[in-house]
Amino acid sequence: MGFNVLIVDDSVTVRAVIVKTLSVAEVPVNEVFQAANGKEALDILANSWVDLVFADINMPVMTGIELVDRMAADGLLQTIPVVIVSTEGSKTRIEDLKGKGVSAYIRKPFTPELLKQVVDMVMGSQDE
Amino acid sequence: MNEEMTETLNRIVCDVFERMAFMFGEIVEKASLPSLQRTGYLAKMGFEGPICGSVSMAVAQSMCPVIAANVLGMDEDDEFVTEKSLDALKEMLNVICGQIVTSLAGDEPVFDLSVPQVVDIGADEWKSLMDQEESLAFIVDDEPVLFHLTLESR
Repeated sequence: MGFNVLIVDDSVTVRAVIVKTLSVAEVPVNEVFQAANGKEALDILANSWVDLVFADINMPVMTGIELVDRMAADGLLQTIPVVIVSTEGSKTRIEDLKGKGVSAYIRKPFTPELLKQVVDMVMGSQDE
Repeated sequence: MNEEMTETLNRIVCDVFERMAFMFGEIVEKASLPSLQRTGYLAKMGFEGPICGSVSMAVAQSMCPVIAANVLGMDEDDEFVTEKSLDALKEMLNVICGQIVTSLAGDEPVFDLSVPQVVDIGADEWKSLMDQEESLAFIVDDEPVLFHLTLESR
């Protein structure tokens, strides 16, 4: 049984790379949802069961930070692990996001091995 | 641009091309860079934080599908690659920009990065970019690339 994954990034290239990387890393995935910004992601989360969210920070319409804030304020959505995948490397921002409940942070560019390692870390206990 | 900054940008641009697209580049003298054949693309984005500025990267139009195909691990003539080649160029610049701001200011400060934009350019705009003193010339997998970092005084 695989995970339902939601990938949130305004770059369709990045979304495609994450989908491919999940496959290469042999992460068990059931269904992949895609959103180009936080607002689209919230719409998907309102209507679909999602086990894990990968989200960028800088996106038009609604940023990844706003998405994390909105999820944290929702009793059900706050239980879904969020992994930020971003070009940014600010420790201050990473710590701030972790304080808001973000499970992990992956900096672009990333390898399939790192993605697998993070998914194992975040979902490991839930997969058992 | 001083030698240390040039070397930093050289390392970052070449490293990102290599890690994201498995393409190999090197910085070259501008005089040795071939002129633009037909049209090209200029990708540009800004950053704001303790240091503000922008980065831009110009490539030949023919290079975009190559970048996209390599990033996506697909064939150049795949319809998805053709449609999304500009998106791949934007993402390449986005990653380069993220690496540059960390290199300039360290890993503590928070930066806001703008969404990358791409415009078409012709031979005249290419030459104008080449003529800018601060622009750097690269050859990436035999294709010319121009890169420019602008830092704003606050």
